[in-house]
Amino acid sequence: MTLIRQYSGVAPLVLLFLLPLALSLVLLLPGLVDAGAFLALSQHPQLSGALRLTLLTGIASTVLSLLLAVIIVAQSNRHLQQQSSVFLSVPHLALAMGLGFLMAPTGLLARVIAVGFAGWTSPPAWQTTQDPFGFALIAALVLKETPFLVWAMASVLQQDELRQRFGREMIVARSLGHGAASAFSRIVLPQVLRRTIWPIIAVFSYGMTVVDMALVIGPTQPPTMAQLVWMDLNDGEVLINGRGAAGTLVLSGLIIAVLAVTLLLWRGLRPLQRLWLTKAARRSRNPAAFFKVVWPVWLLVYVAVIVSLVLQSVSPRWPFPDVVAPVLSMAAWLQLLRDFSPLWTSLGMALASSALSLAAVVIWTETQPQKNDRVILFAATVLLCLPALLVALGQYRLLLLVGGTGTWAGLLFAHVLPVMAYVIVMLIGPYRAFDPRWQAASHGLGASRLKYLMRVKWPMLKPPLLSSLAIGFAVSIAQFVPAQLAAAGRFSTLPMEAVTLSSGGNRALVAVYALAMMLLPLVVFVTASWASRPRWRAA
Amino acid sequence: MLNRRHLLASMSASAFVPWLGRDSFAADWGAIEAEARGQTVYFNAWAGSDSINAYIAWAGEEVKKRYGVTVSHTKITDTAEVVKRVRDEVAAGKADGSVDLVWINGENFRAMKQDKLLFGPWSEGTPNYALVDVAGKPTTKQDFSEAVDGFESPWGMAQLTFFADGAKVEKPPLSMMELRSLAEANPGRVTYPAPPDFHGTTFIKQVLYESVVDPAVFASPADASAFSSYGPVLVSALDELHKHFWRDGKQFPKAQADIINMVADGELLIGITFNPNEPANLVAAGRMPATTVAWQHRKGTIGNTHFVAIPANAKAKAGAQVLANFLLSPEAQAKKNDLKTWGDPTVLAVEKLSAEDQKLFTSVSAPGSVSLPGPALLEPHASWVALLEAAWLKRYGQG
Repeated sequence: MTLIRQYSGVAPLVLLFLLPLALSLVLLLPGLVDAGAFLALSQHPQLSGALRLTLLTGIASTVLSLLLAVIIVAQSNRHLQQQSSVFLSVPHLALAMGLGFLMAPTGLLARVIAVGFAGWTSPPAWQTTQDPFGFALIAALVLKETPFLVWAMASVLQQDELRQRFGREMIVARSLGHGAASAFSRIVLPQVLRRTIWPIIAVFSYGMTVVDMALVIGPTQPPTMAQLVWMDLNDGEVLINGRGAAGTLVLSGLIIAVLAVTLLLWRGLRPLQRLWLTKAARRSRNPAAFFKVVWPVWLLVYVAVIVSLVLQSVSPRWPFPDVVAPVLSMAAWLQLLRDFSPLWTSLGMALASSALSLAAVVIWTETQPQKNDRVILFAATVLLCLPALLVALGQYRLLLLVGGTGTWAGLLFAHVLPVMAYVIVMLIGPYRAFDPRWQAASHGLGASRLKYLMRVKWPMLKPPLLSSLAIGFAVSIAQFVPAQLAAAGRFSTLPMEAVTLSSGGNRALVAVYALAMMLLPLVVFVTASWASRPRWRAA
Repeated sequence: MLNRRHLLASMSASAFVPWLGRDSFAADWGAIEAEARGQTVYFNAWAGSDSINAYIAWAGEEVKKRYGVTVSHTKITDTAEVVKRVRDEVAAGKADGSVDLVWINGENFRAMKQDKLLFGPWSEGTPNYALVDVAGKPTTKQDFSEAVDGFESPWGMAQLTFFADGAKVEKPPLSMMELRSLAEANPGRVTYPAPPDFHGTTFIKQVLYESVVDPAVFASPADASAFSSYGPVLVSALDELHKHFWRDGKQFPKAQADIINMVADGELLIGITFNPNEPANLVAAGRMPATTVAWQHRKGTIGNTHFVAIPANAKAKAGAQVLANFLLSPEAQAKKNDLKTWGDPTVLAVEKLSAEDQKLFTSVSAPGSVSLPGPALLEPHASWVALLEAAWLKRYGQG
């Protein structure tokens, strides 16, 4: 009986995730022993510049996002999770497009300055997008990833059981003479960081491998490594495709190397950490006023980005330096309304893939011992650490093999793989951290397992369950490369339309699709946050 | 630098054997139309332009009405993706491919033709092919100096064209030398899209043509040793231009669509297009002012033809031929030629059409039409592209 339950509990995750992932990676193997491709890559004139840029943008964006997220979480605000979820719903691509519209030499900011102060009649020679150091890309990544980390940390803090424990421990620390900031950084921070290590790694590998944002706002000469690889993989020449595959492997190796170095440094610094932890207590050092404004700044930038997008979406022609276009038109919006199918396809894929993933992970955790988690966490981490392009390519080859390209099932499968990885990473920690004594208590009160799950465990785990579902939904909405490959032109989703349109330069239409891409996940996030608000509080 | 792409290019160019089997041209067109009825044609075409998308949608409706063929426009950003998709499908043994018709030319055509990824020969067998101006427009038979051999059907004509707001640029520069002077007087207001965007690649070819004594040498397949003397000429000519270009020639916009927006915004002075009627189309669409002027260089600019081709593993080969034939009809070509729809120049010999059909083409000059035309120069052979792009990347790819 237990054996059957154990096997059937494994089946969904194995069939939907582990097996396809393994097969996808196996199908990439032939390209990995192609010495000629690595030789060609080593001779690429942009290789060293691209690697340098990638390291800079990937590391800088992760470190800055983590730092800012910790500062924001330390200001402990009860509604942090709900607030950050609003930012989370904004897809990376849409944010980069909006930020570009805001900061470009012909963007809203330059127009306001031109009309309000400077009196410019032609756009300034700003290097605010496509700057050679990738600062604009770093800024866009930090703007996007900080709320993600805040949200991940807030999800941990919001679990009733953990919150109560931290509360007790904070009281102990305060009574030992630690100020609020000191107690937080010694007691809460290390425990929160340990529980959010996978989201942090996901942020890092995303920053190192992001293609769509870099294409919109990143430097071109040289580009980042991910852009370089993307161009090679899409080339019509099979030999250049091989060079691209070699590039993705180098990029993956780079990510693993940086993570390994970080881990070694962390281990090496442990004595220092211990010293710091046990150092004499510090009296309250009030956080600088600067820290208090960090979070509101986010709101301001996002509002400015959305205002830029909305203005752009109704401005077919917008000569500089007008702050408002001479003629406003709803033509671009009407064009979206004329063809609803990308919207429905995106919505259907996102609902199906996030629900399937959540169910598979919950079934797994309920039927498998915790030690087996290592397998799926490893698989999910591998998936998130590999450039999305590479996995998408393997997935595509797998679909070709079984004739699944251009089918609904194939498209759904392409969405499930990345969504599942995020759901695993987001859910496993909080789910396993659930205090088993609740089960013992329920059992003692004679409740069946199902009743315990429905009435006790799942309601108490509602925040992480719903937030994982919402993350899965947003990840699905944002999928471009795997979806594009699997769809084989038979289906179109919102990001596919947006990327196609962006090559044509109709900014109003691009803005409309960027806004549409924001709207769907926003609705889901707000609903999830609202539904998971605590209904009762222990004293 | 000798990269693999270049190696492949020179090897296959010398090993190429012309296609001989022309017997299948006699295929009965009536049978093809009958077979096509009820088929769905997935037409993979670049979809970045609203006017082009609308035109394809119109053609699809007409073909459905007249021949019972359903057309589905698969919107793509780069034709190289389609080459890759077909290659992958053929390699995986997928017989009913996802692409029935693809909008193509140049390197992508050459790659597909050489790797036997195309169905054909078929294009010279369509009824409307007889109307094509093969004598007056030699690029309908030679695509980037690669013989077409019936593997793709001509669709439209293109020629490198520049445009600007006449209120800001009083005297259009009619050569690269004059463009350099204009850029010197207006630093940072001129640029071109980074290769491999084909507008960028074409701009580089144009610079090369205007810097060497005899561009005729580029009509034959690429020669790496000869290029060692042309490379430095190209680089020094580009260095001279870049000094005065946008961001000192260290960064470049990614696509021609960006250039158009930047010209419309006033960030740049000079726009680049491959469609001589695009400036007029932009004026008609309200994106450029009525004072817009368009021109070609005095001694000529690079011109070519774009085509449609059928992949070897296409499912609806008959339907694809019916659509291609319709796209060549005087009615469809005239509508495409119209500035208000798309403005893409026709491949037909208009003077050979019936008087009635000719009337469809009577176009009046509109604001933004080319006022200073130059002759069309033949593209260099497709195999030079890899050398040019590699030389450019090596010199300017590092900021």
